[in-house]
Amino acid sequence: MVTFELGLIVCLVGLIMGAILGSLGAKWGLTVGLPTRIISFVLSGMPILVFLFWLHYPVQAMLGVVIDPFITASVTLATINTFAVADVIRTVLRDFPKQYMIAAQVCGLTPFQSLVLIQLPIVFRQTIPGLLMIQVTMLQATLFASLISVPEIFRVAQQINAQVYKPVEIYTALGILFLALCLPMNGIAILLRKRFTRDFSER
Amino acid sequence: MLEAKNIHKSFEKTEVLHDVSVNVPPGKISVIIGPSGSGKTTLLKILAFLEPADRGALCFDDQTYPFPWPKKNHIKPPWPEVTVVFQQLFLWPHLTLLQNLTMPLFALKRENQGKVDRLIDLLHMGEFIDRYPNEVSLGQRQRAAVARALLLEPKYLLLDEITSSLDVEQVSIILSLLKDLRSEGTGILLITHLLQFARDAADQIIFMDDGSILEEGGPEVLANPKHARVQKFLSVIESAR
Repeated sequence: MVTFELGLIVCLVGLIMGAILGSLGAKWGLTVGLPTRIISFVLSGMPILVFLFWLHYPVQAMLGVVIDPFITASVTLATINTFAVADVIRTVLRDFPKQYMIAAQVCGLTPFQSLVLIQLPIVFRQTIPGLLMIQVTMLQATLFASLISVPEIFRVAQQINAQVYKPVEIYTALGILFLALCLPMNGIAILLRKRFTRDFSER
Repeated sequence: MLEAKNIHKSFEKTEVLHDVSVNVPPGKISVIIGPSGSGKTTLLKILAFLEPADRGALCFDDQTYPFPWPKKNHIKPPWPEVTVVFQQLFLWPHLTLLQNLTMPLFALKRENQGKVDRLIDLLHMGEFIDRYPNEVSLGQRQRAAVARALLLEPKYLLLDEITSSLDVEQVSIILSLLKDLRSEGTGILLITHLLQFARDAADQIIFMDDGSILEEGGPEVLANPKHARVQKFLSVIESAR
């Protein structure tokens, strides 16, 4: 339950904040886009576990505070997700071919109609498979939370194993659970990528 | 009347249009010919309210839009009364060709399935109308782009090299459609390299080179050009046929 709660928070916060940050970054490239890219770049070079531990121990020690590990894990993973999502959305918006909007303008569509009928559907199709893949990765990353004592599914599995010592059954079941969750999402992402991100180039 | 008056346009330090004036009368077909880089497409974009000029003015019916525009948002371009078919076509890739045709009509609340069907039939698009733009040939896309513009029933239709990938039969169909539009009062401005197309269709020929209009007049310009540069250009095109 904690795993799903954590996964849900990470996905929702990451998608919403990432969409906002990505859109702002595409609009204000220098003031928002550049700092976002730099942070994204730094985060992409830092292992999730190190970032998690860094926020859990040294940062809290420096600030003299003690924060619930669940909150630390949520903030860490949501931050990583936010910047990953923002990167995808900013890139797609920045590279959006303006000619499609020009064609909409000369056909008499209002800016709002152009946005809703042309830009958003194209952007949605281009971003959704990538965003799904990121969410699968983030769901898998929630397991790291066990290392800072969040009682999520991996930690529970460890505790049960400590009591009954049936590692094959317990960890196999855990693996199957994650496969059942992640494989369909990956499959959907691949299907959507095939269907939506068709070769837009015209022969 | 759609008119560009004394248009000057530079990109950085290169002047691409120098004091160009063009009049697109309603119910007439005007054809611009000229070598690549002569400023034809830039002029067309300016006439389509897509590219602001540095100096000069645009007139559409009773309204005058002097350049430079204070801010693009401050003017309200008369789209789709003036509309364009670009050389690159710009069909929306997430929509089928049929949806490309009908979506603007839906947005403008001008749905007319009968007209859509007639045009699809006339342009022989029935076989591929449900495909996406990247699934059909350039010639098929060109027909769809022209159909999309025609369905908007514009007062002025601007066309940039729309026949480049069409076969003789398709060119003749487009030509006949343009003549029908002309008889309905639509003003048409067309950029083309097809001299025969220009001879058959044009009420007015405009020859551009190096950002200026060198010669203009009726279709006789093509038969008896006065300017040496026009003579040379036409002879090169004729000999290349």
